[in-house]
Amino acid sequence: MSLLKKASKTWLLLELVKGLSVTGRYLFQKKITVEYPEERTPLSPRFRGLHALRRYENGEERCIACKLCEAVCPAMAITIESEERDDGSRRTTRYDIDLSKCIFCGLCQEACPVDAIVETQVFEYGGEDRDCLFYDKQKLLEVGDRYEAQIARNIKADEPYR
Amino acid sequence: MTTLYIDDKEVTVPANTSILEACRMHGVDVPYFCYHPELKVAANCRMCLVEVEGWPKPAASCCTPVAEDMRVRTQTETLKKDRKMVMEYLLIHHPLDCPVCDQGGDCKLQDYSVEHGASQGRYVEPKRRTEDKNLGPFITTCMTRCIHCTRCVRFAEEVAGTGDMGVLNRGDHMRIDSIVEDTLRSELAGNLAELCPVGALLDKPSNDVSRPWELERHHSTCIQCPHGCDVIIESRGDEVIRIKHDPEGAEAWICDRGRYVYDAFRSDDRLLVPAVRKQGELLACDWNEALTRARELLKDKKVGIIFSPSWSLEGLTSIRLLHDAVMNEAKVAFDLHRRDMRPFAFEEGLSMSTAEIEAADEVVILGSDLRQRLPILMQRLRRRVANGKALTRIGAMNYRTNTSPGKDALIRPRDWPAVIARAMEQLKDVGKGSPAMEAWLERVPARHEAGKLLADALMAERCAVLVGEEIRAHEDAAALIHGIDLLMRSAGHGEAGDDGRNLIPEGMNAQVLSAVFGDIRTGVGELLQAAEAGELDALMLVGSDPLGDGLFSMQARRVLRQVPLVQVGAIGGQIAEFADVQLPAAAYSEIEGTFVNMEGRVRIADKPLRSIGEERPLWKVMMRLTQELGADDVPAVSLDELRQKAAVFMPELADVFAGKKGAEWRMPTARNRNARCLPSGVEPAMALDIVSRFSMYREGAWARASGLLREAGQLFALPDVLVHPHTLRQLGLEEGECVIRTASGEITHHVGTREDVAEGVLFVAKRGGAGDLSTETSASLRGV
Repeated sequence: MSLLKKASKTWLLLELVKGLSVTGRYLFQKKITVEYPEERTPLSPRFRGLHALRRYENGEERCIACKLCEAVCPAMAITIESEERDDGSRRTTRYDIDLSKCIFCGLCQEACPVDAIVETQVFEYGGEDRDCLFYDKQKLLEVGDRYEAQIARNIKADEPYR
Repeated sequence: MTTLYIDDKEVTVPANTSILEACRMHGVDVPYFCYHPELKVAANCRMCLVEVEGWPKPAASCCTPVAEDMRVRTQTETLKKDRKMVMEYLLIHHPLDCPVCDQGGDCKLQDYSVEHGASQGRYVEPKRRTEDKNLGPFITTCMTRCIHCTRCVRFAEEVAGTGDMGVLNRGDHMRIDSIVEDTLRSELAGNLAELCPVGALLDKPSNDVSRPWELERHHSTCIQCPHGCDVIIESRGDEVIRIKHDPEGAEAWICDRGRYVYDAFRSDDRLLVPAVRKQGELLACDWNEALTRARELLKDKKVGIIFSPSWSLEGLTSIRLLHDAVMNEAKVAFDLHRRDMRPFAFEEGLSMSTAEIEAADEVVILGSDLRQRLPILMQRLRRRVANGKALTRIGAMNYRTNTSPGKDALIRPRDWPAVIARAMEQLKDVGKGSPAMEAWLERVPARHEAGKLLADALMAERCAVLVGEEIRAHEDAAALIHGIDLLMRSAGHGEAGDDGRNLIPEGMNAQVLSAVFGDIRTGVGELLQAAEAGELDALMLVGSDPLGDGLFSMQARRVLRQVPLVQVGAIGGQIAEFADVQLPAAAYSEIEGTFVNMEGRVRIADKPLRSIGEERPLWKVMMRLTQELGADDVPAVSLDELRQKAAVFMPELADVFAGKKGAEWRMPTARNRNARCLPSGVEPAMALDIVSRFSMYREGAWARASGLLREAGQLFALPDVLVHPHTLRQLGLEEGECVIRTASGEITHHVGTREDVAEGVLFVAKRGGAGDLSTETSASLRGV
C-alpha cells in the first residue's frame, strides 16, 4: 500500500500541484508589496532614518553644543567641538556623525534639549563609498533645511506621546 | 575634644568645630553651597540645615559649633522638606540653561537639585535678569545663574586681598557686583571659576569648549614657580583644556601663571619635531639627522651648557650623566639670576614649610616681590596679616601685595650691607654678637635704619626670613647671605629644628641643583664671557632662555650670534632664531618624573599626557645624545636605572623611590658652613641702582609662549622704567624720555614715576629696550 501511495505521489506530481495551488491562490489575492521605488509604503512619524540638524525659523541653528547627544550615543558615532561665538553664544564648530557607526537608536534625538538633532524619515542615503556616510555639520544642516516641513510634522504628530 | 552623636553615631571632634565640619570629617553627607573650608563662614545659603535634638528649629550646620553630647540628625523627613524648599528658593531666579552652561555635569546646584529638589518648579512669574560683569581676562560671568552664596566676595576679600567685589541691595534685588568699574586685579583670579558652586563665574579661556565628562584628569606638578603646586591637568584626547587646582594637594589655591600657562602647550612656540638649520632656515627633520648635526657641533668641542632648573629630577640627572660621560670639559650653568657664584652660606630652598612660615612669630621678606614670585606663599602671608600677625618687608619697592605689612622699609640694593650691619649692631647690643660678626662689620662702615626692623623680628621665638631675588642677584650676594646667616645663627634661628633661613630659589627643583651640580657648576655670566672670548665652540641650551630671563640678556645675544647653538627644550621661543639644531623634549605634563619644590616636598608624576609630536622626555634625549657623542656605555637606559643614578647624588631619594617616605617628607636644604664671604666694600659706579622687575606673566619661556598670560601681562603692566618722583626732581628731570647711561652704553627710554619705588632706584621691566638694563647694576639718568 505504502509503496502504491508513494508511486502515485511521485508520478502524479501531487506535491507540485499543491505548491502551485498556493502560488495560484496568492496570484489572485490583493497584493501587499509595493513597486519600490515608484511606490512607497507609509512611514511612522517615529521612523529613525537619516539625521538632520534643524534651524529656528529665523535661520539660526538650534544646536547649542551641549554635547548630550555625543555623551548618550552608544556607538560613539557623534563628534562635537564647540566654541563661544562672537555674540557670546555657545555653538559647535564641528558636528560629525559617522553613519557607518550609527545604530539608529534615536537616543541622540531623545537627549537633545532643543530638538536640534533629529532623525528624519529619509532612508535612501546610500552611496558608492564609505565617505558618503560621514556627515559633517554642513551636510546635516542641509538635510535639516530640505526636510524641515516633514520633521516639524513628525515632531508635532509625536508630541502628545512625549 | 568634643563628643557628639551624628545620626546616632558617636563621633569625637576638636572643640569649636562646626557641625558641618564634623560631618565632613566623618563622611556624613550634608549639602552646602556657601561653606568653603578656606573661607570664613557666611551661612547664607541655608542648604546645610540639620536637626539638633531639643532645638525648636533646624540649625545651619556650617555656623553652629558642636557641643558635648549634642545629638545631630542629618536625614529626617522634616529636613527633606526643608531642603526641598531651600532648593526651590535658590532655583527661583536660576535659568534652566544647564545645556549651555559649562558647569553642567560638574555642578553642585545640578546635583543637589536632583538629590534634594522637587522635580517640578512652581514659579511661573518672570525670572530676574542680571547684568554680566567684567572680571578680567580669565573669568567670564553669567550673573543670572548666581545663587548669592558670596564665596567670590569672601575670596576677593580674604584670599585675593583686593576686596573689590561685594553684595549690593537685598532680597530679590540682591546682586554680586564689582565695586570698582574695573577688572579684578588679582594673580589668583582663576580660582574664582573653581570656587563658584554654580555656573555664574566660569573659566573664560576654556569657556564653551568642553564638558566635564569628556575630560581626562592627570595629577601633575606645576613647575612655573618653585612652589610646585599640585595641579590637575584636564585634557580631551591630547589637547589640554585647562589646569585646575588639586583638591587633595598641599595648597588650597593655584595662581593664574600656573593655571593659564596651558595655552603654551598648544602654542606655535612648542618644539614638536627635531629641526636643523639649512641655508639659514630651520627645517624639520628626523631624529637621526638632527642628532648627527648635533654631534658635528658638540663632539670633542668645548661646549657650554645652560639649562633650566625646572626639568624633572631625572632630566637634571641625565644632564649630569651626559656631562660625566662625554662632555667632561663642558662648562655647566643654570642660574640666570645670580651674579655672585661664590657658595652661599645657605643654599636655595626653604628650610620651613609654607604652613610653618605662616605660623611663625615673625616673617621678614628681604627684597622679594613675593606676590609675583610665589603668589601662593604671599596668599598665606596675607592671611597671616589678616589674623593680626606681624610681617616685615625690606626691599627696593613697595611691591603691591594687597595687604599692608606692618613694618616696611624701602632701600636701595647698595644699602643691603648697611641694613645687615645695623641689625648686627643691635644683636651685639643685646649680647648676641659673635667674632665672625665683628669681621663682617669691619668691612661695612655705614648703617641703615631698616636694619632695626630686621633685628627686631629676629628677637622673636620663631622667625622666618625669606631671602629674595634682590639679594640673590646682588653682586655681593654671598657676603650678604653670609651676613644674614650670622644674624640668624646669633639670634638662634640657624640650627636644625629651628631653622628660619629660607632662600627663595629661581625655579622648581632648584633645591637639588647644588647636590647634582655643586662641583661642576659655573655662573652663566662666566660661561657667556668665555663664549664671547672665543673659548667655547658651541652652546647647548636645555630649556633655558637667557634672552628673555635673567640678568645676562645682552651678553647672551652677542654670544648666540657668534657661537653655534644646540637647543633642547619644549618651547622654542626667541632662542629658536639662533638655533642650529633643535631637539624637542617633552613638556612637564608629558613625562613621568620626580619634582622637588622649594620646601623639599617630593612629587612623582606617573600619569602623563600623550606626547603631541615627536618630542621625548629630556632624559631620553640626553641619553641618546650621549650615545651619539661616543659613549661606549649609555649611563641609563630606563627610568629606574636613572633614578638609581640620581640617588647617588641625593642618597635620600633612594627611600623616596622605594616608597619608604611619606608625602609629608621634605628633602633637607643644603648648607655651606664654610662659606664665609665678607662684603667687598665696592661702591657701585653710578648713582642709581638698577632693580629688575619680576613679572609672573612674562618670566620664563613657558609663560611667554602662553597667549593668555601675555594678554594679562599687558593688562597689568607698569611702565618699563620706573623711578621715585623725588629722584627725578633731584636730578632736575621730568617724567618722560630720558637718557639712561650704564656701563654698557646709553639708551633713551621713557621713564615713569611711582611713589612706591625706593629713592635712588631704577626699577626696570624685563621686556623691550628696558630689558637689557637688567644686565647692569647701576645707572645714571640725564635729560634728552
